[in-house]
Parts: sequence; structure tokens; C-alpha cells
Amino acid sequence: MTQIFYDTWDFIVLFLNESVPLIVGSVKAVVIAVGIMSVVPMLVWLERRLMGRFQVRQGPNRVGPFGFGQPMADTVKLLFKESIIQSSADKFLFHLAPAVVVITAIVGFAVIPFGEPFEVFGQSIEMWGANVNSGLLFVFAISGMGIYGMVLAGLASNNKYSLMGGLRSSAQMISYELTLGLSALSVIVLTGSLNLVDMVHAQETVPFILVQPLAFLLFFIAGIAETNRAPFDLPEAEQELVAGFHTEYTGMKFAMFFMGEYINMVTMSALVTLLFLGGWNAYGLPLWSVLAFAIKVGFLLCVFIWLRSTFPRIRYDRLMTFGWKVLLPLCLLNLLVTSTFKVL
Amino acid sequence: MLEIATVFDFAHDSVIFIVGMTAVLASLGVVLCSSPIYCALYLIGHMICLALLFLLYNAEFLAVVQIIVYAGAVMILFMFIIALLGGKKEIQENSFHRAMALTFVFTLLGELYLSATVGQTEPIKGDIPPELFGTAKAIGLELFSKHIVAFELASCLLLVAAVGVICLAKFSFAPLRRRVR
Repeated sequence: MTQIFYDTWDFIVLFLNESVPLIVGSVKAVVIAVGIMSVVPMLVWLERRLMGRFQVRQGPNRVGPFGFGQPMADTVKLLFKESIIQSSADKFLFHLAPAVVVITAIVGFAVIPFGEPFEVFGQSIEMWGANVNSGLLFVFAISGMGIYGMVLAGLASNNKYSLMGGLRSSAQMISYELTLGLSALSVIVLTGSLNLVDMVHAQETVPFILVQPLAFLLFFIAGIAETNRAPFDLPEAEQELVAGFHTEYTGMKFAMFFMGEYINMVTMSALVTLLFLGGWNAYGLPLWSVLAFAIKVGFLLCVFIWLRSTFPRIRYDRLMTFGWKVLLPLCLLNLLVTSTFKVL
Repeated sequence: MLEIATVFDFAHDSVIFIVGMTAVLASLGVVLCSSPIYCALYLIGHMICLALLFLLYNAEFLAVVQIIVYAGAVMILFMFIIALLGGKKEIQENSFHRAMALTFVFTLLGELYLSATVGQTEPIKGDIPPELFGTAKAIGLELFSKHIVAFELASCLLLVAAVGVICLAKFSFAPLRRRVR
């Protein structure tokens, strides 16, 4: 009996020894997923507080100190709300749509590196979920899949407003994805790699925002449009579309769309940081690499909120014209100039 | 040590098998499903499975491009059209299509079986260094050195198609549109 026990124990130890990368990977996946999801309530709180200040009012300040309890209270409220599905909706797609939005948002964050590797117990722990060789393309691919969540929500709700919102969001995101990809392409040309870690290493002396200011601007604008944030939040324009593609959603399913939006916001800020602001390079400041990265991302998130409370929403045809006739030619021009300099 | 190696190999193979089976089942869904939205969704699922297969065989770049181009760009246009035209469910009229689909699927399954069992797999031919395999660099080198003419011709073809679409959409033919009642 004891022999069997010891054999099993040996096997387990051997198995654990062999599969250390697997275990480390799983732990990292859980930490990243939970971390990114728990950022969302804090971000909502930050947005509401900052918006309050920008618009010369208080913002949430009753629940706990500085209104810190507000996100908790909101989460509890959303969890306990009744989930209503109208009888004419397609049940399966109706449930699938928010799940697609959240899953793609979390998976997209998996390849974002947010710090230098460090050593624990002889194991080199890398601060990223996965170091994919074509990491940048992976993020674009996954964010492209996220569009389906909105389109499916529009289709499944059986509601004209939702359908219009879904169509708008897909058209907008396809148009701005081009700008996003092409402005990132100039950075790819400079580094000669699609790997996000390589891109950070290429910026050890100078961040690319100084080399490629136009590309940074274009990427950031396209990033705001890609995450459906104001002033490009046409898919959910209240004055015209009630609430856009999530008109019919209640409770937690409604919250999942918001979660997806905020996670996408964090991913986009992280991408801008990695591509243009030098990633976790602190440029002489005595900062832990993860902290340097977090500060840059946090600043960009504040800029997102700042833009939302500053600019009015632009008209839909203007949005498309702006994307196709201004941003895209500028991107191509920038790419042409960059690659010419690179070849020379 | 040896046991674990075989266990892991088995895991890899079974993952490939599961993904392949899912791809076949998804394509089955495309043919058999009567609602266009679900058809499109099955097709997306099929394409994601194909991308996973590419990924399992270390063709990382190809997998990502498969998702960006087919699952991301092409299928979203399908969804667009379904949304604009209204995805009505088709009424099943005869079972001929169903029989055809089943035949098709079993042929595919047979092919899967054949490709899984028959003969040894060939090693990769060509002079691609192993560290470059499956990366964007390898594909770029191949594409822009050996197949440059074909590549440029294909891009010309796409340009012609784009110009044609703009001609069709932009310049309306007055006699066709304003018909006298």
C-alpha cells in the first residue's frame, strides 16, 4: 500500500518538475485575467470622479471615502438585477454576444508584456502572458474578433436601434482598424519585428513618440475609435440610437459590454505605451519596470477620460470621411517616408 | 521520464485531433444550418479552428493572418450583408442537400483518417532555417524573392476588382434607375 503511495508521489513530483512552464503559465494566465478584470471597477470609479472634476461637479462621493465603495455597490447592483430577454430575441446569440466581447478583450491582453523578466527560485518569470512572435498582429486579430460581439448583439436583439448600433460599430471598427494597423506598421518598419518585447527593447534610448510623432497621433486617434470611446462612440449615441447595440441588455450582461470596453481601453493604452512611449523603460528614473509601465498606461487612461469629457460626439458621415480621407492617406504618407528613410 | 514524454506527445496529438474534428463539425454546421446567421457563425468557428491548426504546426504568422483576414475582415462583411438583408430562416424543402452534406462530411472524415494513417509525413523542404520557420520574415522572404511576379499580379487583380466595385457603386446609370411609371 505504502509502495503505491510512494510511487504515486514520485510520479506527481516528476510530473510537476516536468511541467513547471505549464504551471507557471497557468498561474500567470489566472493572475492576468483576474487582474485585468479587477481593474475595471477602479477604472469606472476613476472615470466618474475625473469626469465630475472636468465638468465642475462632485462625482460619486457618498459611498465610502472618496466614493471608493461606489464601484462595489454598482457591481452588487448589476449582479442582482433581473436579466430580461425579450421574447423576439435569439436567445443563444443574445447570451453569446457579451461573452464574445469580454473573452476577446481578456485574451487580447494575454500577449501584452508589462515588465522585465525576474528570477524566482531559479525560474525566470517573464512579465507577460505569452511572448508571441507576431504579438502585435495577435492583438489586432483578437480585437477584430471583438467586433462580432457588437454585431451579434445588434442582430440578436431584434431591435432597430440595436441593429443600427451594431452595424455602425462594425463599419467604424473596420475603417479605423486600417489606420491602426498602418500607423503601427511604421513602428514595425523601424524595429523590423512584430514582437512587442523586441519593440520595447528597440526603444531603450529614445521612445518612438519622438521619432514618429505623426504615427503616434494617428495610432492614438484610431485607438480611441477602435475602443468606441467618446468622441467616437457612435455605436451607442444616446440621442439617435437610445443606447445602440446594448439597448436590450440588462444587469450583468449589460455590465459585460462595459467590462469589454474598459478592458479594451486598457489594452489600447498598453499598446500605445509599448509602441510609442517606450514600454517599461524608465529613462533614468529609479522605477520598477512594472511601475513605470503602469504609470504610462494610467496616464493614457486619464487622457482617454479627458478626451471624453472635452469633445462632443462627431457626426457619423464625418467620422467615416475623417477615417478614410484624412487618417488613412496620412498613414500611408507616414509609412512611405519612414520606409524611405529606413532604406536610405 | 519516457512515460511523461509519451503522455505529452499524446496530448499534443489529441489536441490536434480535437481541433480538426471541431473544424469538420463546424463546416458540417455551415452546410446543415438553415439560419444564415448561424451559418456564418459556424464558418467563423471553422476558420478559427483552421487558425488553431496552423498554430499547432508552428505557423504562427499564418494563423494570425488567417484570423485577421478571413475570420476578421471577410466574415464581418458577411455579417454585414446578413444584417442588412435580414437573416430569415430557410424552410427545409428536401433532404437531398442534407444527404449531400453528409456525404461530403464523411468524405472529409475519410480524408482525415487517410492523412492521419497513411505513410510518413514529409519533412519540410527548402532552405528555411528552423528559427525562422513560421515567422513573418520567412514568408516575406519567400514571397518577395521567388514569387514576386505572382504577388504583384495578384495585387493588380485586387486593384482591378476595387476599381470595378467603385465604378459600379459610384456612377449610376440614369435610364435604369428612373423608370417611367
